[in-house]
Amino acid sequence: MSEMWINMGPQHPMTHGLWNLRVKIDGEMILDVDPEMGYLHRGIEKISEDRHYNEVITLMDRCCYVAGFAWEHLYIQSAEQALGLRPPERAEYLRVLCDEFQRIASHLMWYAAFVQDIGLMSPFLYGMRDRDLVLDLFQSYTGARMTYEYMRVGGVRNDVPPGFTDQARKVLDWLSDRFVEYDQLCLGSTIFRERCDDLGTLKANDCVAHGVTGPMLRAAGLKRDLRKDRPYAAYDRLEFDVAVADSADVTARYLVRMEEMRQSVRILRQVVDWLDRHPGPVLAERLPRWLGAPYAPIGNEGYLLKRHYAKGVGFSAVEEPHGEAQAYVVNDGGEHPYRVKFRSPVFANISAARQYLVGYHVADIPPIMGSVDVCVGEVDR
Amino acid sequence: MQPDDIARQLAPKLGDGLLSVEPFPGTAGRVRFRSERALELFRAVRDDLHFGHLSMVGAIDWVDHREVFYVAWSDAATQYLFLSTDVPASAAHVESASSVWPSANWHEREAWEMVDVTFDNHPDLRHLLMPDGYAFHPLLRSFKLHEPEELEVKSRHV
Repeated sequence: MSEMWINMGPQHPMTHGLWNLRVKIDGEMILDVDPEMGYLHRGIEKISEDRHYNEVITLMDRCCYVAGFAWEHLYIQSAEQALGLRPPERAEYLRVLCDEFQRIASHLMWYAAFVQDIGLMSPFLYGMRDRDLVLDLFQSYTGARMTYEYMRVGGVRNDVPPGFTDQARKVLDWLSDRFVEYDQLCLGSTIFRERCDDLGTLKANDCVAHGVTGPMLRAAGLKRDLRKDRPYAAYDRLEFDVAVADSADVTARYLVRMEEMRQSVRILRQVVDWLDRHPGPVLAERLPRWLGAPYAPIGNEGYLLKRHYAKGVGFSAVEEPHGEAQAYVVNDGGEHPYRVKFRSPVFANISAARQYLVGYHVADIPPIMGSVDVCVGEVDR
Repeated sequence: MQPDDIARQLAPKLGDGLLSVEPFPGTAGRVRFRSERALELFRAVRDDLHFGHLSMVGAIDWVDHREVFYVAWSDAATQYLFLSTDVPASAAHVESASSVWPSANWHEREAWEMVDVTFDNHPDLRHLLMPDGYAFHPLLRSFKLHEPEELEVKSRHV
């Protein structure tokens, strides 16, 4: 057979977003791949240079549309470092609450899309149904289901409403039972196992060399999780285990994400208990009005006050649902960040595509790329 | 790992290529080095300090010069290390880190197209997020957000 390049994308069921995977094939065999990104590039790093510190939060939600909270948290941590601020403790717990519910919502979204790639239609509906319960919770305290704009430099915008923790406990109970059913549906299915075992293998040393992080790295047996290794927010006060698997294939990534959801439920139970017992402020006091006022309209005089902080830089990293995200914020003393740089975990995970795709068949691409959990919004930014 | 430890371990290998190691938020420290000695520094950081994972590469336009920065991670120390070097705006180039850390490949492509820093001996230095033939470098300070650009997009594959 003669070799040829084919395009899978930008519109293709495998992509789960807008990008193009160029594949060099010989018959059914994959000889080479060349991912082409940029279709969703909105210049978020450039726009940030023209926004107040709090206005960048709006962009963060749009950075990754399935894990908005994780990106808000990432940016907020760096900005607080650059400005020399600390949030109150209750805000740190609320941020963990957001992060972990977001992890569950993101993994459920991944589950729904991934099983559909393999050809199972009903689990797609189950995943989306259960994700909606989490989105309902988000809506109850942020008012939004996808783009929350909830975290603030110096804390969070508002506290959770009365009765929220009871509702959250109900959702957690429901989800714990559903995870058992998911496993029965997938791991109990011979077709699923034959489709996913020994597929898209990426060993630990290749993961490290190519910058792969998150569930893909932990599926290769490396126990690396920033929530444990470099705890941020309230993670050092919460008990949980890092999910790992060792076969480094598509099944291993499934196992890691399922276990992560169970661990998230475990974390969230501790967080809602803590929130019940410790009322308090959620936004740091003595913030300049342009930074602190949660609803200050653009153009009001407080909003435009000159900043009161010295120059500084902030660097922080969070374990977002897809892997390790980093933000670097340079504050040169102006009202806007001088430079903002983000590291997207999916960016690195896709850049290693050649390592886990070459040698497999064309029909293996959807399950393998599905197991990577691609979110193009954060790759292109 | 403290900035002093890092300086002590790197100094014998780098000599005057190492400018300073200073504290930096969220990391073990910031290593400032001369861009001509980049490759030696990368190897020393990976092999002697055991920072086996390169997380990101980026660049900042300081108008009179450009700063290229690298973030590395060590599993043993569970710490980040920040590396940075200054290059003149008129001759903004530095040796590619992708022969030491393959993960630098895409990050360097992005830094090149966004901030116009050339990475010497890069295996595949072409546009990543912007279309082929895009003549601007959007993250330069001279690229103004509120002025329209004129651009003719050519098809990548004919």
